[in-house]
Amino acid sequence: MKDTRIITQPNRREFLYGLGAGLGSVAFTSMLEGLDSPTGTPHHRTRAKRCIFLMMEGGPSHIDTFDPKPELTKRHLQEFSRSGEMESAMSSGKRYFVKSPFEFIKAGQNGSDICCQWTHLKDCVDDMCFFRGAQVESVNHPTACFHVNTGNRFGGDPAIGAWMTYGLGSLNQNLPGFVVLPRASYPQGGPANWSNGFLPAQFQGTPFRAKGSPILDLNPPAGVSQQRQRTNLDLLGKLNQKHLEQRSARSELEARMESYELAFRMQSEVPEVLDLKGENQRTLEMYGIGQANTDSFGRKCLLARRLVEKGVRFVQAYAGNWDSHDYIERAHGNLIHSVDRPIAALLKDLKNRGLLDETLVFFCGEFGRTPDNGIRGGGKSYGRDHNAKAMAMWFAGGGTKGGHTIGATDEIGAEAVENVHHIRDIHVTLLHLLGLNDNKLTYYHAGRFKQLSQFGGQVIQEIIG
Amino acid sequence: MTTGRQTIISAIVNPSRHITIQKIFPALSALHFASLSVVFRMMFFISSLALFSAEHSEGERLFALKVKPLFAEKCIACHGSDPEKVKGGFNMLSRASTLKGGESYGEDVLIPRKGEESILFQLTTRVIEDYEMPPKEADKLSQQQSLWIRDWINAGAPWPDEASITVIQNQFAEGVKAPTSGGLDDEWTNRRYSPEHLWSYRPLTVKSPPEGVHPVDWFIDQKLKTAGLSPAPEARSRELARRLSYGLTGLPPEPKSVQQLSRNQKNGSTQAVLEYARQLMQSNHYGEHFGRQWLDVVRYADSAGFANDYSRPNAWRYRDYVIRAFNEDKPYDHFVREQIAGDEIDAADPEKLIATGFLRMGPWEQTGMSVFKITRQQWLDDVTDSVGQTFLGQPLQCAKCHDHKFDPIPTRDYYRMMAVFSTTQFADRDAPFLETENREGFNTSQEWTKAKIQAYQRQHKELQNQVNQNRQQETGDAKVGDNGLDPGDEASLARMNKNISRHQWELEKVLPIAFSVHTGKTIERNNVSSRIRPPKDPWAKGYIKKDTILTGGNVFAESEPVAPGALSVAAFLGKMKPSKFPESRGKRRKALADWITNPQNPLTARVMVNRVWSWHFGRGIAGNPNNFGATGSLPSHPALLDFLADWFLKHDRSVKKLNELILSSSAYRRSTRHPSPERMVSKDPKGQLYAAFTPRRLTAEELRDSMLSASGELNRRVGGIPCRPDLNQEVAIQPRQIMGGTASVYEPDPLPSLRNRRSVYAEKLRGLRDPFLETFNQPGPDKSCELRATSTVAPQALTLFNAAEIHDRALAFAARLLREKKNPEAIIRRAFSLALGRSPLPDEVDICLTHWKDATSEEKEKLYAKPDFPTEIQRTVMAEKTGQPYDFIEIMPAYKNYIPDLQPAQTNARTRGLAQVCLVLFNLNEFAYLD
Repeated sequence: MKDTRIITQPNRREFLYGLGAGLGSVAFTSMLEGLDSPTGTPHHRTRAKRCIFLMMEGGPSHIDTFDPKPELTKRHLQEFSRSGEMESAMSSGKRYFVKSPFEFIKAGQNGSDICCQWTHLKDCVDDMCFFRGAQVESVNHPTACFHVNTGNRFGGDPAIGAWMTYGLGSLNQNLPGFVVLPRASYPQGGPANWSNGFLPAQFQGTPFRAKGSPILDLNPPAGVSQQRQRTNLDLLGKLNQKHLEQRSARSELEARMESYELAFRMQSEVPEVLDLKGENQRTLEMYGIGQANTDSFGRKCLLARRLVEKGVRFVQAYAGNWDSHDYIERAHGNLIHSVDRPIAALLKDLKNRGLLDETLVFFCGEFGRTPDNGIRGGGKSYGRDHNAKAMAMWFAGGGTKGGHTIGATDEIGAEAVENVHHIRDIHVTLLHLLGLNDNKLTYYHAGRFKQLSQFGGQVIQEIIG
Repeated sequence: MTTGRQTIISAIVNPSRHITIQKIFPALSALHFASLSVVFRMMFFISSLALFSAEHSEGERLFALKVKPLFAEKCIACHGSDPEKVKGGFNMLSRASTLKGGESYGEDVLIPRKGEESILFQLTTRVIEDYEMPPKEADKLSQQQSLWIRDWINAGAPWPDEASITVIQNQFAEGVKAPTSGGLDDEWTNRRYSPEHLWSYRPLTVKSPPEGVHPVDWFIDQKLKTAGLSPAPEARSRELARRLSYGLTGLPPEPKSVQQLSRNQKNGSTQAVLEYARQLMQSNHYGEHFGRQWLDVVRYADSAGFANDYSRPNAWRYRDYVIRAFNEDKPYDHFVREQIAGDEIDAADPEKLIATGFLRMGPWEQTGMSVFKITRQQWLDDVTDSVGQTFLGQPLQCAKCHDHKFDPIPTRDYYRMMAVFSTTQFADRDAPFLETENREGFNTSQEWTKAKIQAYQRQHKELQNQVNQNRQQETGDAKVGDNGLDPGDEASLARMNKNISRHQWELEKVLPIAFSVHTGKTIERNNVSSRIRPPKDPWAKGYIKKDTILTGGNVFAESEPVAPGALSVAAFLGKMKPSKFPESRGKRRKALADWITNPQNPLTARVMVNRVWSWHFGRGIAGNPNNFGATGSLPSHPALLDFLADWFLKHDRSVKKLNELILSSSAYRRSTRHPSPERMVSKDPKGQLYAAFTPRRLTAEELRDSMLSASGELNRRVGGIPCRPDLNQEVAIQPRQIMGGTASVYEPDPLPSLRNRRSVYAEKLRGLRDPFLETFNQPGPDKSCELRATSTVAPQALTLFNAAEIHDRALAFAARLLREKKNPEAIIRRAFSLALGRSPLPDEVDICLTHWKDATSEEKEKLYAKPDFPTEIQRTVMAEKTGQPYDFIEIMPAYKNYIPDLQPAQTNARTRGLAQVCLVLFNLNEFAYLD
């Protein structure tokens, strides 16, 4: 069976985008409201309306954060062997079990496990749903990052945020619907991690850069005043108008004219969102802003809250680098401290403002870490390698089941063994929580209806409250 | 399962509550009304069957002809074909198992004679949220298909045996079978297709237009006449000049060419257009523009992507090969053969080795952390699909895990085609430079690269000394970093080593090496971080891969053996003479190249003429140039496509001649403005009759090149090593992580002439895209791009209005104008002519002059400092071993002798004032859009 109507749909949609934009106002991210599903309206009712994705780049160790493995303490520095077809250079040579340098405590009403380094986040566990069953396919950073972010290990496909804004539209016409808060250093694989892939360009993630101009070319070069810019825009408008008069049927020309006005408005709107001056001192302190170790991620978390308040649909904030092959006590210790206070503040702040219920917060890396390690630099290095079979992950707010731990890894944390789910099921679940059905949120490209999960997946019901 | 679900279902099933349900699910009740007409249709269907057969019941026939194939297409993948993974325990392979039901539903799944009440039917109507079957929206059944299931159940759900099914199908089935090498099961092999979807595999059907009529117009006008739509008049000559110049070279027309075309047009439009087109095709910019479009399809890039994003130092020679091929008008069959099998055809010819770079264009890397077998398979998958899309218009990826769902492409063909490449090995081969290759800039490039390496080596030495001095013995059994060192320093050493080896590989950019392949055994590689030299004896070391189908696409799941081959359906339906593909050590790729370029191949010529057509008209005759299968959109003018393909084959497979044929048509010369747009929309709602020409926005590269052309800064030299233009400064210094540290900062070429080259020569790094080009829809180089998309988003306005690089262009444009003309009005006229290809209207001159004057007086008040370009930069990374920030200094040798483009400090207020007018011109819709 072939339905040619469906197949030509994307082209038609792009055309209508121009048309809609011309008649109303062109959006940074188009809403396309009132047009064909899937864009603009959720598939089912849900609590979550927006999502904040805390991307822990580098692969945080589940064993040293939320998934205690006392067995490793017993086997510390005993020899360990691994084999099989997936064996690569990373798992060759002599290897040893490595215990966690950190103590664990039971926190919250249900006694959720959490490493003692999380001195602030431990107060939030009743709002957090820990998931220990997730697995990815790759042990290399860029492929695993692409996999977690886009569903495709090899990159080139749309990121989750692009799918969500494609599915739900944006709530603020003057801001992008999908904002990324990257670290000063971009991840391996670069901007393909927030790509629109084959979706129209308006669904691309817009990085608000940690340094310099938050959005590229938001302002003209030094020496060009706002007045000058306005005058230039007016001349542009006049000349464009003449050109348009002979081409009245061409909505894309009108849309392009509108886009200049929007860009001009953004020049004031964006700095306003970024300006934290309006926040009181208590809030800044709560997020750890102004303190060396927490300032950077604290700003991202506070900004994430401000952005979702302004109607941004999907914010992804990067922290890292969690790639602790060595010296894990120092590296993970510092990293946990740098995100602990900011994340706890974000969860509490959202909750106090009554936003947590409608905001899904999701925490994960691109993979977890191994219970064992090899020899590096002449000694048994106290760190962990990459592990695709188990990872650290939790959900909070947005209709998830706070205070619960779902799934389990084996006694050494090498592999998820209970409630095991491929990352595609995580994707399907994230979409589901936002009211989107992965099987319906499709886009025709290169001969196939593509979807975030690639082949379809399963909602992990246990996570849903 | 949840109880809620049971309740809903029982509500539907319980007849006493039927009315309520119809209220809840109006769609279901709509089906009831619709069913009346279906009954009539069924009666017709059945009575027509009755003429032929009385042996089989109506229900049996319905099952054999409709329901069974529907199950096979939509249900069996999850409910039967893989016995280990039967979803929900519901197996639809037999009547008995279907009657039994599964975990969620029992006998109510299929209640013979009660179609309406059977859940099997209900779920296909998709009225209950979250319980739709099949689950994917894209797979949903049409209303008619749902009703087949209902009617079959109402007829008692008969399930005749295979033999009877075959008898019925042979006698009555609609659609046609497509002969192939055979599917994984008979069901697929015997599948029937709607004949219209097999068009691309059948031989060309060539209709000859009458003498004296332009063949393109003959086909196009017939359809217009049928639709009752008259075409738009011819475009104005200045519109045509822009259309032709951009269409053939990607650059704006020279003002004098516009005038010339206008003059010549008076003596006959066709001839004038042809003359101008020939002139444009003689320029080497033609190859650059057509080459760029080909490079979109093959995903050209100068780096490998993924974790290391290593440079591919010799890839540029392939880019130039493509440009040369179009400029020399290389017959298309040669072009194809060389890219697929150049080395097997003549390894002594450097050109042919360079051409095979095509096979390696996709992203690929092998690090110490990858499993070779997996990365090797990744390439095999990539090249198989890429050859399919590029030359045959068939995305083959869909057949990797299972027989193709819509097209007659069995998974066996996928692995047969892949077997062609199992003896293909990566090799960076010696290939002397050709006389035609541009070797300029080698010295500057080497100087920079060497300076970069030396700077790292110097820093490394210093740091290493410091580390050696400070290092202490670690205490304890396991290293915890108490060695007295800053772990950031240790990481920094690794970073430097990594960048040294990256740049060392880059030094090979200027060496006579081809990014190529050879035929031989597969040698396992642990880590590829430098040139791959071909072994002396390609058959000595390594292994020859066993060619098999991989179950589910899993590299570790070898199953049935296959022999090298190609698309069986094209061979059978295209009536190609059977061809033999060698195995073992034979030249497998050469055999594939022969097969693809065989004039009998039904796909090859069609695919290429359709691409060329799409490059001129902005859409293909067949709507998806990379996909001629059932999921691609059908050709709007199939007879025209076949005529052009045949014409192409008969005219030396010359793309230039094909261009002449297309461009000389009236259809190409039409105005974008139809005198009656409403009528056009109503008579041609899909917009595919060519009543008017479709306007288009310039591509990202055309925008940049046009500004450089207007400003007079464009260095028009053809070919050569990639150039590094000025990028947005913040993106250039943006740290980006690679395996083992942070990649070197992006440094532009030191001289304007090196930087300001055509965009096709700009170094294309997978991990660092030029934000200007990206925002104007330059596709990423990871996936094949059949046609550029155009979207309008605010960041485009930001970059075109605010970016320093665009202000530089505007300033240089202003300076050029002031150099060339003295009179202010003449200056404005010249500006319009260079930027827009036309003269300004009097009031346009006036407002521009006023604008210039006002801006100049503002500029008089301003003082500009000379820009300062630091030769080193402090960068900050998060150190892996501490989780804390670590600062380091990076040396930027490019800025040592860097000469910036014209800067405000070097100009007077009048120039800067005029630059504001120029900036506005670059932002005009008229600048960015072609009529």
